[in-house]
Amino acid sequence: MLIQHLSPIASSLFSLLAIASLLLSFVMLASRWLKNYLYAFAAESWTIAALSAAVGYYGSYPELYLIAILTLFFRGLLLPYLIWRIIRRLEVDREIHEILQPSSALVIGALFVMFALAVSYRVAAEFHLELTVAVVALTVMLSMKLIGFLMLAVRHEAISQVLGLLVLENGIFLGSQILVPGMPLLIELVILFDLLIIVACFGVLVGYLLTHVGSTSTLGLKRLVG
Amino acid sequence: MSTREILLQIGQVVTVLLVAPLIQGIIIQFEERVQRAQGPGIFQPYRDLWKLFHKQIVVPQTASWLFWITPVVAFTCMLTVPILIPVLTDFPLPLSDMGDILGGGLILTLGSFLINLAGLDTSSAYGGIGSSRAVMLAILAEPTLIVVFVGITLLAKAMLPFVVNHLLVANWAVYWSPAHLFLVAAFFILLLVETDRMPIHSSTHIEVYMIEEARILEYSGPLLALLKWSSAMKQFILYTIFCNVLVLPWGLSREGTAIGALGAAAGLIVKFVLVGCIVVFVETAQSRLRFYRYQEPLAASFVLAVLSIIGSQLS
Repeated sequence: MLIQHLSPIASSLFSLLAIASLLLSFVMLASRWLKNYLYAFAAESWTIAALSAAVGYYGSYPELYLIAILTLFFRGLLLPYLIWRIIRRLEVDREIHEILQPSSALVIGALFVMFALAVSYRVAAEFHLELTVAVVALTVMLSMKLIGFLMLAVRHEAISQVLGLLVLENGIFLGSQILVPGMPLLIELVILFDLLIIVACFGVLVGYLLTHVGSTSTLGLKRLVG
Repeated sequence: MSTREILLQIGQVVTVLLVAPLIQGIIIQFEERVQRAQGPGIFQPYRDLWKLFHKQIVVPQTASWLFWITPVVAFTCMLTVPILIPVLTDFPLPLSDMGDILGGGLILTLGSFLINLAGLDTSSAYGGIGSSRAVMLAILAEPTLIVVFVGITLLAKAMLPFVVNHLLVANWAVYWSPAHLFLVAAFFILLLVETDRMPIHSSTHIEVYMIEEARILEYSGPLLALLKWSSAMKQFILYTIFCNVLVLPWGLSREGTAIGALGAAAGLIVKFVLVGCIVVFVETAQSRLRFYRYQEPLAASFVLAVLSIIGSQLS
């Protein structure tokens, strides 16, 4: 495996990029304006693209360069552009009804990171991965997933929810880049197209919400039948 | 304990005492210049202090003995802390083993605690509002400060500022590690809160949104001068901890010669001007928020401190 024989520089570079993307998901958690939310998501995708290029360089996996370019293009440019188009079409540019204040959300996010750290120590010990970078990758992956779930749970705007889903997915992608960098290219492509479909579905959902409920808050969706 | 070390220790206190108003003046002047105003000049705080020391003292009828001792205690606290931290030299001087980072923090907090009490003591409306606002901020800022101190301790495996300084100078890997960078960011937010320069503080004082100024509104004459001087010294001390312990640990006197100490004092002013530029940028670029947004930067600071502790546990 790649991570078992990494140079110190490479391992610290990986840790720095992983922690930078975790920090960006905290920025997303604390932002009130949907635009800032979106910019933080784009920046996070770029960080992850840089991470897969770095893994490709240090682990000599040429196909990872292609994945890095695809990540940059799809997650860093195309998805934010599509979501930006949806935001522009709406009159909503911020989360109006907050269940949880940004400051409380930040503190809960910090608790999630601690929980993720505890879990990933156990997981790493189970799989004999007592390396720093493996624990960092596991921690960042788990905490980004938890933060994504938190965003899905505490925000009602349809846009915030799709972004929460994308953060969740970014976390899994980041972990897989460091832990199992030899993942087949085809799976990556399938995931990218899945994401496109998610965003397209949410575009349809937003249109539905606007015509039938009159707002973009998912709180309006109370009936189970269509 | 040689005579030179004692002289250096006195020099540290005197540096803080004399240069603190200058730093205050430089920051205020920068701020005015950024807003394209003329500005009062960098020596204005000295002139203010001189003027206030020649004025009469007026004491409210409702004031008790607390009102009288507060300025003296606050001033003494600020004179005590420079003994504990590396202001001019990067080695411990006599009596600097009296307290560690937590001890310094305790003495700093004692000063603001008494000022809070004095604000309540006169039972004026503004003093009460200022004290209650300051306490609301402190409730969130102090635990974060403790977490930052714990982070520093875990990073350097010691609670003495001198050890942290040596570690950061010697080891570039530690300096650029995420744990240290997060600590710097968390402490910077606390620095803004403690020196009254958050976006929730008003840039012009004496208005309804004031926090620090409201607590000392009843003071006049030399007592007010002591309080103003001690708040300038508090700012100087926090900047010293920020620069000499965390961000720019270079440029301190190693040998303890007179030239070295003078050079360190000059270097300190240069560092503070750099930090002051960043502070002025933040204060100008960020629009003023309503007071009840105060939790957000403090929560961000707490998160950064927690992330830094996690980072230091991993490496």
